[in-house]
Amino acid sequence: MDALAPRPVALGEPEVPGVAVRPVGRRDRTYARCLLPALVLLAVVTVAPTVYLIVTSLTPLDLTRPATALDFTQPLGNYALLLHDHRFWNSVWVQAKLSAGTVAFQLVGGLALGLLLGVRSRFVAACRTLFLIPMVLPPIVVAIMWKVLYTPDISPVHTALLALGLPIPALITHPDLALPAIIVADVWEWLPFTALMVLAALKMMPEEPLEAARIDGAAGWQILRHIVLPYLRPALLVAGLFRLIDSVKAFPLIYILTDGGPGTVTEVTNYYAFRQAFNFSYLGFSSAITLALVAAVFLLSWWFVRVVGTRGDVE
Amino acid sequence: MSRVPRSRRERRQRRLAAALVALLAAVVLFPFLWLLQMSVKPTADITAFPFRWLFTPTAAHYRALWESQFPVSLWNSTVVSVATTLVALCVGVPAAFALSRARFRREGALALWILATRMAPPIAFTLPYFLIYRHLGLLDTRLGLVVIYLTFNLSLVIWMMRSFFDATPRSLDEAAWIDGASVWQGFVRVTLPLAAPGITATAILCFLFSWNDFFFALILTRTEAITAPVAVVNFLNYEGWEWGKIAAGSTLVLLPVLAFSLLVRKYLVGGLTAGAVRG
Amino acid sequence: MTVTPPPTRHRSTRRAFLRTSAGAVGLGLVAARAPAVLGQAKEFKGVTLNGACFQHAYTNVLKEFLKEFEEKTGMRVNFETPAFPVYNQRADLELSTRGSAWDFLNITFIYSGRWIGAGWMSSLEEFLGDRNATPADWDAGDFVSGAQASLTDAKGTRYGFAWEAGAMIMAASRYDLIEKAGMKMPETFDQLGQVCAAIDGKDGVKAFVNDNLHHWHWPPYLLGWGGKVFVNPPENLTPALDSREAVESAEYYANLLRQYSPSGALSYTMDQGALAHRTGRANLRTQAIAWLAPLATAADSTVKRTVRFAYMPRGQAGAFPGSVSHGFGIPAGAKNKRAAWEFIKWALSKEMVRRAALEKGYIAVCRKSVIDDPQYRKNMTLNGQDLAALYLRVLEESGRLGYMRYRMVPVYPQVGDKMNKAIERIVTNQQPAREAMAQAQREAVLDLKKAGIKIDA
Repeated sequence: MDALAPRPVALGEPEVPGVAVRPVGRRDRTYARCLLPALVLLAVVTVAPTVYLIVTSLTPLDLTRPATALDFTQPLGNYALLLHDHRFWNSVWVQAKLSAGTVAFQLVGGLALGLLLGVRSRFVAACRTLFLIPMVLPPIVVAIMWKVLYTPDISPVHTALLALGLPIPALITHPDLALPAIIVADVWEWLPFTALMVLAALKMMPEEPLEAARIDGAAGWQILRHIVLPYLRPALLVAGLFRLIDSVKAFPLIYILTDGGPGTVTEVTNYYAFRQAFNFSYLGFSSAITLALVAAVFLLSWWFVRVVGTRGDVE
Repeated sequence: MSRVPRSRRERRQRRLAAALVALLAAVVLFPFLWLLQMSVKPTADITAFPFRWLFTPTAAHYRALWESQFPVSLWNSTVVSVATTLVALCVGVPAAFALSRARFRREGALALWILATRMAPPIAFTLPYFLIYRHLGLLDTRLGLVVIYLTFNLSLVIWMMRSFFDATPRSLDEAAWIDGASVWQGFVRVTLPLAAPGITATAILCFLFSWNDFFFALILTRTEAITAPVAVVNFLNYEGWEWGKIAAGSTLVLLPVLAFSLLVRKYLVGGLTAGAVRG
Repeated sequence: MTVTPPPTRHRSTRRAFLRTSAGAVGLGLVAARAPAVLGQAKEFKGVTLNGACFQHAYTNVLKEFLKEFEEKTGMRVNFETPAFPVYNQRADLELSTRGSAWDFLNITFIYSGRWIGAGWMSSLEEFLGDRNATPADWDAGDFVSGAQASLTDAKGTRYGFAWEAGAMIMAASRYDLIEKAGMKMPETFDQLGQVCAAIDGKDGVKAFVNDNLHHWHWPPYLLGWGGKVFVNPPENLTPALDSREAVESAEYYANLLRQYSPSGALSYTMDQGALAHRTGRANLRTQAIAWLAPLATAADSTVKRTVRFAYMPRGQAGAFPGSVSHGFGIPAGAKNKRAAWEFIKWALSKEMVRRAALEKGYIAVCRKSVIDDPQYRKNMTLNGQDLAALYLRVLEESGRLGYMRYRMVPVYPQVGDKMNKAIERIVTNQQPAREAMAQAQREAVLDLKKAGIKIDA
């Protein structure tokens, strides 16, 4: 093929004229071959179970009555039950509170911590590593740590506060403080995530706008608000998205600290689904709950990605 | 403008920041350090009433752990985490490259599907996997865990590496093509080395998430393939939570990932952000 | 249950002489039976038996002597003992999917109704009826009825044999404080309320403590009030959680936890409650005997001298102390059922139960012959009180009156969960008792319908 002859631009081809490139077909085929194994594997490991989940949600499957596995007489029965299930809607409300609380505090706190850790000081730079720790710990270990701190009998915090004459009630058995207690533990665990993203973004931030602003006499606050924050916006949004998705999966903290209680004030939706499935074997109903949850998160994320976008290409 | 010279103000701000950071570090690390000290605290002192702050350290809990099933679980965790990371990388990195370079119509949907696989809570997958594994005899095997961990690792690799590849300029690809390299050769010789920090960061995250998993391992393993996080929970005994052993076990579980993460923290930070932020 | 050997009082040489001579006779008996045992030797050679139970003092004893069993029968036994919550999760999942991973397992009291009612366990009748499989002197009738009730279905078919009985009694860790207030151990619910009010906070000790298993603790109060869990189990499983008796007893019990229990007690697991109890943080508790006897025997108990035991207090309708058991059974999907039965026979043989009780100080045994044994009686005489008599009384009464039938229902976990949540809400003042119980009733009905149960309108 004559490399210099003009050719129609096809899929996968950069629009740089005059550059001799490989035949399009072969490039596309290579890309396809790279992508195919991953897609197949992903399909096998995720699509098959998802199909099972969907099918099961259309039956009243209860493992104590195996015949219900193929009972499709009332396919939307579980969803109808869900609509009127107060405990389900309570769990959605609890989930909303948990997600809002953890994401908000992690964003604000992470931003503040990231900015703080960005200060140019050798001591601060050395300390940065320490803040990694909560994020890399196994979540079950984090739950155990906080169980120790929240159990008055063995908690140094409760004991110290009591000794100082400022006793606090047991948080995880208090109907108003149990959820905040879980939020605190979750924020402690994941604050470093946002902070690190902010920190890394800060490092890559160009100096010139900052210098220009300073020369113009702008105060610290103004620089922060008008230059730094807009620059950090994408990083914060991505962090927020990831934390939002992960907040829906919250399990170890609730399992170890409160078991959904006291009452159901800390029972989030996936925990409710867990108990329905693993304590009572109501697999059909539990699958319906799980699907509803995933659908809601999916829609939320789709809207998020649509509105905000997450790609950043470099030419 | 203030009459205080900038350098002095800056130095004072720096000292203030340093003090604040030190304080925050102490507060943030407190739960972690408390657990560590609990692992060497004799059981009688842990559960004493009234509360006992001082004690003579003991290695009894660690000794007890070593003589139990715990070392097996640590080994299982290591094998499974490394294996699943390798598989996810081998399959996911080329796919991410293709996604990054090839522009085709449904890529938004594809990206969303990949992100969606991360959204499902573990419970969504556990029952079907339990039933399938029973048929295939994969229950309580390390292979079984490696496969189910791909449900979150593979999408993580593709998602993150796509961002990294987006950040490596196409012009370099094209330069390689001009020199006569095939797409694959260009990928291996030019793009891949450039993305090495990204691959490292992604590998670390894969390892981390696999090591730290609790729920899948709880449901799908028993004694042969039990992993470390589940082994720790095994001390939540009927007759009393063995706090000393729980603390010691927790310490042993977190040390590897901690050490690993600290060693490669540069890449961790870089990895979390590349491509997510507009350069 | 912290198992510690009881304080020994080897003073009398006569006792020592009796002991050695009894030992000699025992040895002679064993020697006489030896040929019979040898004749059966290695019957299961090459068989690998898998089984599980949650980690417990009793399983420790079994594991200690497991080699003897393996040598006698020729089989290899893999005996897993994970932690309680982990074991229950796995066992439930295994059974609900009719797995064959385990040949024998523990039937946990919380799930016995469910596992047996759903047909997930194998009936043991065929082995019990076969003289070759079960020699007469193994004596299945030796197990106390109250302990066996939860392992037997409504038709009387046996699915397991009990190794641990939970017989609910009451214990005061600081009886001296009760005496100082001029009162005695309460015998009725009214008296219990009065005693709590009088002693709460004295000497820094809270009046009451319990744990978060409300579906185990509260029904005795409900029944004592004259209420019911179900209208008529097992035929009529309509819940009765919103009756007047249910509301009143729930308020009463929740108040014990709210007003008279230590801070954070609402989240206590059974062992945390026991720890608080024996370190003297709280005084009264109504729980299974295995959690209360250590008040007098455990090494870390600081209340040994002031502990006092009593029967469960009664309400208008009487006293209905809870009585359940853990037992060994065979899953329906097990592959080596005969070998599994051999293990269960050994694990619960008179010999092993005696060993556990008399040599290892194990408390909650279920064989009457062992409970009646003078040595056991002596070990269980704590602070001058005959605990063995109390224990036996609870087991036998509950078996005779059959009031524990409400637990034998397959859907008990669902209903129990609603009870738990309701009590928690009442204790934390999220709802008054009437609303909380009404909600519990509604949710229970919904869940039972999901299980296909017919409910009265």
